[in-house]
Amino acid sequence: MELLTIDLFKAMLRQALEEIKKREDEFSRLDAVIGDGDHGTAIVTALSAAVKAAEKQTEFKALLNDMGFGVMLETSGSTSTLLGAFFLGMSDSASGIALDAAGVKAMFAGGLANVAKQTQARIGDKTMMDALIPAVEAMQASASADVRELFEAAATAAMQGAAQTINMKANYGRARNYGERSIGYADSGASSWCCMINAFAECIIN
Amino acid sequence: MKTKFINEPENVTSELLEGYVLCYPDKVKLGGENIILRANPKDEGKVAIVTLGGSGHEPALSGFVGEGMLDCSVVGDVFAAPGAQRLFQALQLMKREAGILLVVLNHSGDVMSANMACQLAERAGIRVRQLVTHDDISAGIGAPADDRRGLAGCIPLYKVIGAAAEEGKSLDELIEIGERFNKQIATLAVATGKCTHPQNNALISDLPPGIMEIGMGQHGEGGGGQKPLVSADETAVEMVDLLCRQLQPKSGDKMMLIINGTGATTQMEHNIIFRKAYKELEARGMKVAAGRIQEILTVQEQAGFQMIMAILDDDHIDYLNNRKADAPYWTTIGK
Repeated sequence: MELLTIDLFKAMLRQALEEIKKREDEFSRLDAVIGDGDHGTAIVTALSAAVKAAEKQTEFKALLNDMGFGVMLETSGSTSTLLGAFFLGMSDSASGIALDAAGVKAMFAGGLANVAKQTQARIGDKTMMDALIPAVEAMQASASADVRELFEAAATAAMQGAAQTINMKANYGRARNYGERSIGYADSGASSWCCMINAFAECIIN
Repeated sequence: MKTKFINEPENVTSELLEGYVLCYPDKVKLGGENIILRANPKDEGKVAIVTLGGSGHEPALSGFVGEGMLDCSVVGDVFAAPGAQRLFQALQLMKREAGILLVVLNHSGDVMSANMACQLAERAGIRVRQLVTHDDISAGIGAPADDRRGLAGCIPLYKVIGAAAEEGKSLDELIEIGERFNKQIATLAVATGKCTHPQNNALISDLPPGIMEIGMGQHGEGGGGQKPLVSADETAVEMVDLLCRQLQPKSGDKMMLIINGTGATTQMEHNIIFRKAYKELEARGMKVAAGRIQEILTVQEQAGFQMIMAILDDDHIDYLNNRKADAPYWTTIGK
């Protein structure tokens, strides 16, 4: 597949929301280990606001901008800050009604760059960055002109990254205070972002 | 059991703000839901000073909206940050070419709302920069700024940068003046007894009788250790010592000293504490150039106080002492 169309991208977003809703309780339970146990609700609320805001627009830049504003104006909390920043960063680096492989890579790189401005967490800190950074890097490393292969590479890397958080000690934010107690559980944010990226890939492949 | 004179708990914030603007109509007004503005706005050519934070800390933060201090205060529910939407609405109201300086107390909810609203504001062509305060030293002497909470030290900061903004300083200049003040200010809180959340009656702090805790946060978050309550003089000396370890003032330095009551401790006690803290600083060779004893930021009926100390540069002294401020809870006769 050479081009990611706006309609396909909207379908991917809807599928991501469906998959995340199915696992809402699991994300909240993971968060309860080292946080306040509301991540499942937070990510469902944030992504729902984004999907709702995506309905009207027919062009990538405006669509992603509306998604970012939708998340940030309708919901609050760190999950929304990061997800909203992701969509706004994608908006900065995307335009038109269809994206080729280079366009998809640029869009996701822009999203990651803006998220990295909002949090100091990086790989190994047991946060959503453990899923997002490898996913975007795997996408950038792919030489394929098939956009499906970009999302497959991203999903594989996100799953590996999220799995690795199980053995990590939380090193960022309030969770840091839990130290050793955080080992043995996957990070809730890495799990939910991995779920989203994986749903993107499943949607585009089918 | 009811312990507070309130009506419906969910109306606490809107009703307290309504009472406030009804009392001081020549100074403040509502600019939208839970947004407090100056009644007589500042010249549009000057930088606007905006801040945000939860209610329940009266007179903070809205008590300092007025000439020579804040232009706008964006209020959340009790102890809760206002959402990014309301803050973005306030930034739209304050939009001007000179720019907006947004003062953010370092609490995760406030920081997140500020980051979100600023991202949206930049995209909407609004010039805004943040100044984050982190004066609390209970995380440990020399702890990284990110780990330190913003306590009542924001209020003298409003006075300093508010006066500088009235003078016509640019956004860049205000950031420099404010960051320099931020680096030289430190606050330490001490609490005793208990205090309750006005909406759900939950205990937000609960210390056994006769026990005090140095390093209590703004919402009852613990910090330092608990120990038996000691005399005013002993408490003052211990707190001055901890603040001086953080600030490292030199003999001859000019200092600001503020005792902020957090709700249930009497003005009598504040005066006694101030007396000893003042004498302790002078004994160490410092000169107290600006002082204040006042409830500027309360935590409901929490007994205790915050001691706020800063090493002052000459421009800070001028902005604090000699420039006019006319906010409902801070008045300075000056130019």
